[in-house]
Amino acid sequence: MPQVIVVTSGKGGVGKTTTTANLGTALAMLNQHVVLIDADIGLRNLDVVLGLENRIVYDLVDVVEGYCRLRQALVRDKQFDNLYLLPAAQTKDKTAVNPEQMTALCQELRQDFDYIMIDCPAGIEQGFKNAIAGAEKAIIVTTPEVAAIRDADRIIGLLEAEGRGDPKLVINRLRPNMVRRGDMLDIIDVIDILAIDLLGVVPEDERVVALTNRGEAAVLQNNSRAGKAYRNIALRITGENVPLMPLAEEEGLWDRLRRAVGLGRH
Amino acid sequence: MEGAAEKKALFLQRTLRSGQRVRYDGSIVILGDVNPGAEVVASGDIIILGALRGVAHAGATGDPTALVAALQLHATQLRIASCIGRRPDGDKASGSPEIARVQDGIVIVNPYLLGA
Repeated sequence: MPQVIVVTSGKGGVGKTTTTANLGTALAMLNQHVVLIDADIGLRNLDVVLGLENRIVYDLVDVVEGYCRLRQALVRDKQFDNLYLLPAAQTKDKTAVNPEQMTALCQELRQDFDYIMIDCPAGIEQGFKNAIAGAEKAIIVTTPEVAAIRDADRIIGLLEAEGRGDPKLVINRLRPNMVRRGDMLDIIDVIDILAIDLLGVVPEDERVVALTNRGEAAVLQNNSRAGKAYRNIALRITGENVPLMPLAEEEGLWDRLRRAVGLGRH
Repeated sequence: MEGAAEKKALFLQRTLRSGQRVRYDGSIVILGDVNPGAEVVASGDIIILGALRGVAHAGATGDPTALVAALQLHATQLRIASCIGRRPDGDKASGSPEIARVQDGIVIVNPYLLGA
């Protein structure tokens, strides 16, 4: 049974696109047929994050306007031949597409793919309405920041009003050290306000920035904690029961040595 | 019953999220939370069986005897009739049930004690 999942947040810059790219890649690693739709028309990013920018010929708007066939617009991933991108148009804006067209598009993609993931633009206007139109499931991405949580709450309310209840939450860029010092909201604080099911927690990982800039996915790195978190989330999406991983950085050899000679951090 | 005023009330069993607003000519009882950015406006009283973190306006048509009560009163702002109150900066909510009323023109929050 194919699933159409929109990745949304309300606020910009919390990691929707990074999350979409990594979850898509992780699902492809699990041998699922995946297509990622960039619904951020006019401000496309997903192609860059996936490192596929230079392979785009046609885009979503071309498909909707009947300028090309759907298949012609799909860009295959560099590494996985079961992962595709439907890029957004860069020279148009959100009004180039309407919700009915997006629904029809998702319906057509259901025939060929197991997972259709839609990268939603920030905001609650036309672009958001287009992005959620064809989706029956939603993943809300938030960072542990008051402003991001406020916007996530607004989005959950709007999804409920549209009859797309039961969204799942991903808390992105959590910094365990800051939580421990009491300088950052912890998971419980976030869940307390949003009161929806937690799909996963992705720790802050500087390597994600570097990888994203190179168009590589963190999930392909075995030593990336963020990558591991995304792989776990992908498993949960496929219905597996994976416990949350411990968030604290594992102690390095150096820390253990320091502690052994009485120089440990407390 | 002698001395009991009969008021109509709207009963909601849901959480109000940011951007959502409930307005009612009468009292409002919510079994759920009122999140930051949400607004509850009633001409009568407002009772939240949950956490009130948004804005509540009781007695909105000018009744200064209206009250706001919540299991956790963390309201961004409390309005009763034409009085507006907020917690002093840095003041922490108690986490236990509290009730807000207007006394001498200002909004006063007290612990809600059964039978008191």
